[in-house]
Amino acid sequence: MASTIDMSLDNTFEDPSRRAPLVLGGMDYGDVTDNVAAIWEADRPPKTWYVVFTIALVLLGILGACLFHLIMKGTGVWGNNNPVYWGFPIVNFVFWVGIGHAGTLISAILFLFRQNWRTSINRAAEAMTIFAVVCAGLFPGVHIGRLWVFYWLFPVPTEHLAMWPNFRSPLLWDVFAVGTYATVSLLFWYMGMVPDIATFRDRTKTKLGKFVYSLLSLGWTGSARNWHRYEMAYTILAALATPLVLSVHTIVSFDFAVSQLPGWHTTIFPPYFVAGAIFSGFAMVVTLMVPCRSLFKLERLITIRHLENMNKIIMATGLMVGTAYGIEFFIAWYGGVKYEGFAFWNRAFGNYWWAYWIMVSCNVFIPQLFWIKWFRTNLVAMVIICIFVNIGMWFERFVITMSLSRDFLPSSWAMFRPTEIDILMLIGSFGLFFTLFTLFCRFLPVIAISEVKNVIPHDHHDDEHGDHSGAEVAAAH
Amino acid sequence: MAHSHKPEKEKPVGPSSKLVSLVAQFDDPDSLVAACDRARREGYQKMDAYSPFPVHGIDDAIGIRRTRLPFFVLAIAFCGLAFALFLQYYVNSTDESPLFPGYKFFISGKPLGVPGVPANIPVTFEIIVLSSAFATFFGMWILNGLPRFANPLHRIPRFRRATNDRFFLVLEAEDEKFNESRSRQQLEEWGATAIEECHLDLTDHEIPKNFKMAGIVLLFALLLPPALIYRAAGMTNRNPRLHVVPDMDWQDKFKTQTVGPNFSNDELVPDYLFGDPSAMRHPVAGTIARGDATGQDEFHLGYKPGSEPAPAHGGPNANTQDPAVQDPAAQAAEPEWLTSFPGGVQVSEATIARGKQRFEIYCTPCHGFDGNGGGLTNQHAQALAVQGKANWTAVKSLHDPAVKSQAVGRIFDTITNGRATMGPYQNQIPAADRWAIVMYVKALQQTGIETTGATAEASSATEAPAGN
Repeated sequence: MASTIDMSLDNTFEDPSRRAPLVLGGMDYGDVTDNVAAIWEADRPPKTWYVVFTIALVLLGILGACLFHLIMKGTGVWGNNNPVYWGFPIVNFVFWVGIGHAGTLISAILFLFRQNWRTSINRAAEAMTIFAVVCAGLFPGVHIGRLWVFYWLFPVPTEHLAMWPNFRSPLLWDVFAVGTYATVSLLFWYMGMVPDIATFRDRTKTKLGKFVYSLLSLGWTGSARNWHRYEMAYTILAALATPLVLSVHTIVSFDFAVSQLPGWHTTIFPPYFVAGAIFSGFAMVVTLMVPCRSLFKLERLITIRHLENMNKIIMATGLMVGTAYGIEFFIAWYGGVKYEGFAFWNRAFGNYWWAYWIMVSCNVFIPQLFWIKWFRTNLVAMVIICIFVNIGMWFERFVITMSLSRDFLPSSWAMFRPTEIDILMLIGSFGLFFTLFTLFCRFLPVIAISEVKNVIPHDHHDDEHGDHSGAEVAAAH
Repeated sequence: MAHSHKPEKEKPVGPSSKLVSLVAQFDDPDSLVAACDRARREGYQKMDAYSPFPVHGIDDAIGIRRTRLPFFVLAIAFCGLAFALFLQYYVNSTDESPLFPGYKFFISGKPLGVPGVPANIPVTFEIIVLSSAFATFFGMWILNGLPRFANPLHRIPRFRRATNDRFFLVLEAEDEKFNESRSRQQLEEWGATAIEECHLDLTDHEIPKNFKMAGIVLLFALLLPPALIYRAAGMTNRNPRLHVVPDMDWQDKFKTQTVGPNFSNDELVPDYLFGDPSAMRHPVAGTIARGDATGQDEFHLGYKPGSEPAPAHGGPNANTQDPAVQDPAAQAAEPEWLTSFPGGVQVSEATIARGKQRFEIYCTPCHGFDGNGGGLTNQHAQALAVQGKANWTAVKSLHDPAVKSQAVGRIFDTITNGRATMGPYQNQIPAADRWAIVMYVKALQQTGIETTGATAEASSATEAPAGN
């Protein structure tokens, strides 16, 4: 394993005659394993890990207390009112589900498009998907009021009541969409991880580790026959997850679009929501990966080129979202429906004008900085921009939901004001997310080891061990 | 990385262990593929290659046939499609079914059944994806023969690098071409950097003793549920059935015909919620049920308005709760009863049929189906009265000459306001239905059914003042 990391290496060049390396520092197969396993093999994780984990646990505790309070008192502890029946819970739900989508996009869609650069980031992104969906599921889950009859969401036969869910309601579609999405993401994530867990199994020194990783790796040996079926299954799952991820946010947008409310009842919602989801999800991946790679010394696997690629996607989806904002206004004017027109005028200049302009600034204006290469390749700059994007995307959902506050009948207009519980639950959901993510970083393979080995140029890799730069390795082919 | 006990345990080779395969190590994927290719050309069939990542070209080199997994997934996907459509049709477009009734529920103008399928597409899609994903995931593991919790390969320390950075070709001893020394020589020839023997430990096949004991206990425990079911078959039990999920089956509400809650602990001084034991309430004074506006006309009174004799008469406003109030003198004065059906009541077979149906609901419990007072309530109460357990006035036979001769308006009034111990029915039965019942009673009286002796006498004795 190379002892020093040559950070001066630049693999962000655009030269069609040379293929940019995806792994730097001339790592061979063993080096990749060592590099990724080092996080987990270390007796103690870095101090920063403890700090993040402690903060996350505190926030998780706050979330738990809020949930307890909510269940004991009822949903009246939220600021939801009439006419804003959906306040923070739906805003947070859509926000978190959207975050999750980038993980599936990286693992499934980029896989089908043979984008090999995904291999270094897909595992962490998939983990992010699952933890984000957990956070997302929480909000509608507790919004049902009587938690103890949560199973009424599903078509469960009752003993004496002819009681079934209404299969023509978008809210029920949501149950199936998010439920399927969580399940398929979990299967995909776990299946992808099995060979790497087997690697951990074969390296662990503790009895408990041996037992747990042996169970989780299901006796994986890396047999060619197994790999054959495994790769087929992986391709099928990717092909299933691709339309699934598009359908999930489409159905989430149906929650709004199928209703008759001006500002919601538009056909642009599904594509606009999906683009927004990928936009915010990629921003979250960058926000997570930049500190992760520094903390766990993964600079040679998650290279600047990887981050730059993601930033380009953020810029592209950001432009799509910006276009959608514009089209909405155009249609509101061109459609000539006065309620629609009012809804949009009200968004930009009405009671929640500040939320609208936060949204536009964060989602449309700030990502334009990514046109400049310096912003795309500077770690601090890209994290700051990505945090802005996530703030903007949270406000996008807030702005959409707040269309409720001024609907057809002026006499029923009312302002929505979040309560302390609303705000604490939003903050607490980040605690849940980061608790899960920090545990994942510590105990599971953060990078898809077996997939990265596949993108290492494998001819004569031993000769080039640590001596040549990655760019030269690539140039040699 | 050294595991102290395992390698030592594997070393002794003798009758206690069996050679299952030769494990050859290669340092890079290309030499592995080349070796696999050679092995296949040599005629080896039972072999496998092991690598930390899928090696390009290995499938052809070993001769792995394309997996049937996609077809399996496709079949499951079609099952998912059929299941999803059936589920949604059954649950939202049917009302009756033998096992679990559906909930036919027309909402937001979305049609039911086949025309409503567009609204079912999202869930159908999700179920197809979910079932296909499960089929892919579990199908892959099943086809791969995993999970497998014991594999002699895992006991070779060198083989641990198969998940790290080394590549292995394993020739199985079961293969026809396999010959230990010759195969070993061939592997060396093909460029193996190390060769190990993989032994299956035959001595280690005994199940641990405590596992056996636990298994036996578990087996007996498994017999318990069928034994209990066998015992319970045909048994009677006074306890209600176990209700696993109560849902909304029991609610805090008062049902009709029940006693209201009593808050008093003292049996002699009851404290009912409404002041009286009944859980049912009369409509609030001055209100009328929808569709039952009781106008002061012939249709709603049964007599000509204005013909009522005096405020004290026992007709429409008689206090029927207490028969003692009935004043024979007042009873003598009667309003001018209608002798034919008022306007708005059509004399037809349909009305009589309607009357019959209403009669059977409201009147038969006491008066019986033939109107002779043979209703179950009457039978039961009379039996109790004979034993001295109840105070009961026998039900009047509708074929009693005194009733037969009554005008239709008079019978209508009896139903509306009650008479003697019979309660008023104006709150339960709308006026039009009361007229229909009167019509049916009149038809019943024409059938020639005779008054049964005892009942007729008893009723005429007690109800004599009420007759005209």
